[in-house]
Amino acid sequence: MTDPIVAEQLTKTYSNGTKAVQGISFSVRSGEAFGFLGPNGAGKTTTVSMLSAGLAPTSGRGMVGGLDIARDASKIKRRIGIVFQESTADGDLTGRENLEVSAALYGLPRREARRRTEELLQRMELAEAADRLVKTYSGGMRRRLELGVGIVHSPPILFLDEPTLGLDPQGRAGFWRYIRGLRSEHGLTVFLTTHYLDEADQLCDRIAIVDHGQIVATGTPAELKDKVGGDVVTIRPVPGAADPSAVLRALPGALSVQPQDGTVRLKCESGERMVPLAVEACARAGVGVAGVSVQRPSLDEVFLQFTGREYREEEGPTATDRAVRIQRLQERRR
Amino acid sequence: MLRELAALTRRELLRIARNPAAIFTGLLIPILYLLLFGQGFNLSSLSGLSGGAGGAEASLALREALLGAPSYFSYFAVGMVGFVAVTATLFTGANVIFDKLFGIFKRIAGSPAPSSAVFGSRLLAGAAQPILLALFVLGMAVGLAHIRGLNGLIVTAHVTVLGALEILLAIALLSFMFTSLFLSMGFILEQPQTYFAAVNALNLPVLFTSDALYPWGTMPLWLRNIATFNPVTLAVNTMRENLFPRSAYPFPPEVYLAGLAAWTAFMFGVAILLVRRTLGPRE
Repeated sequence: MTDPIVAEQLTKTYSNGTKAVQGISFSVRSGEAFGFLGPNGAGKTTTVSMLSAGLAPTSGRGMVGGLDIARDASKIKRRIGIVFQESTADGDLTGRENLEVSAALYGLPRREARRRTEELLQRMELAEAADRLVKTYSGGMRRRLELGVGIVHSPPILFLDEPTLGLDPQGRAGFWRYIRGLRSEHGLTVFLTTHYLDEADQLCDRIAIVDHGQIVATGTPAELKDKVGGDVVTIRPVPGAADPSAVLRALPGALSVQPQDGTVRLKCESGERMVPLAVEACARAGVGVAGVSVQRPSLDEVFLQFTGREYREEEGPTATDRAVRIQRLQERRR
Repeated sequence: MLRELAALTRRELLRIARNPAAIFTGLLIPILYLLLFGQGFNLSSLSGLSGGAGGAEASLALREALLGAPSYFSYFAVGMVGFVAVTATLFTGANVIFDKLFGIFKRIAGSPAPSSAVFGSRLLAGAAQPILLALFVLGMAVGLAHIRGLNGLIVTAHVTVLGALEILLAIALLSFMFTSLFLSMGFILEQPQTYFAAVNALNLPVLFTSDALYPWGTMPLWLRNIATFNPVTLAVNTMRENLFPRSAYPFPPEVYLAGLAAWTAFMFGVAILLVRRTLGPRE
């Protein structure tokens, strides 16, 4: 049986010359949650748009649910659900009406549409607000409604394009809970794009790290962290103390040492073994230590390892992002 | 397809019903035209057609220009029916643009709903308003004739069932044609400001190159040539021929209706092509 989502050398170059996606290949297994992790402008939304048959690829091949994205757009749209990063619900309709209209758009008979709407209103904890206009909903309620709208036709494949963008941590955690519930009950195959590292870490079975339209690493969160290798010991010297980087770098087992924001990050194979050595070395060098912490490598380190850049530095619009926006503006003016 | 069409049409109608201010404004404009402009701008009185000071020659000239209508108000009121069928469709395309800006269109485009259902729902809901408004104006204009001291629409022909159907069809075709035109503009354009500028630039020329408001006979030849093919003229002539003696017109109403149907079919075709382009995969 073929995997539900397959991309082979998928490429998208916009008419203004921007190479948004550059020959990416991957496959998502049935029932898997696959994360596409990357900063703004990495090509995540362009990839989702191509795979959901909303954007024609420049070259390469994409198969979704065993169907070709270039030839079977309408059939693919029936088999997938999408939660877009922006709100697509109609603010002038109630939550219930939005779900009913969406159900009809996927061809559900009226009785089935009503049953499904009631079920989703309960599940998304929107039953009490079901008959309120959506423009009165909070951000979290709108996101839950978006998820309901995306799965109203019970699709086997769900695309989530930055689904928790703009939500507070509590709202994001709630959204993840719904996704986990849906996966465990219905065995949904989920393709998630996000630029939240913790979201990818929490929700995804496998992750592809994308940068400048290319996949730079793929694996389970644990595999990716293992590729970075070792733990990170963060040492905080007392205020006014000298920089202990040089003495720490000389310690046996120290893989790398990097001063950062008044602390020193020491990468090593075993954090537990390194802590007493590092504290002792600092004491010998006359550097008072205010605090020490040990961390397993995070996806932040993974991103740094594969792209050579700090993840948070990339959160502003990139050149690709700007080029895509300029093209969209030009298209709108036309 | 019918299920999607019904759901999307219901959505459009709910949105219209939840905006009573727009309905009220839509009603107010033709009421003001009939009660103020129609009563104040009294060409018949000036020309002596209704016993005013114009004299026999002026009266005769106006009677000829009005092509069988018994008074200027009667001529103008039928023109207003055509006029509101245009003005009430002006904002149908703006709703498409706002739906694109607010992401609602993205949801629809991401669904398998056929483009014919997406277009059809907007066409039905968009045309419902001008059709109802045009019938309201027609009824009100006839009603005014029964109020002492006010000008009203005086029907001087025997209106047959076929004639009534032709009047209804003319209103419907004109509404569908302009709804298709403005929906097409909504599908092409991305910014509301551009849309409103384009609609304003189009609205008055369409009206003023028709014989909706001023008599055919008063136009210079070049304007008459343009007005002959104007869809508003075609609709209004169909109605006038069925409400007043039709001998003054060179063609029977069926000819005007056929011309109007051709316009409507053309705009249908353009709009369907554009909606398919909008809903299909982007390049």
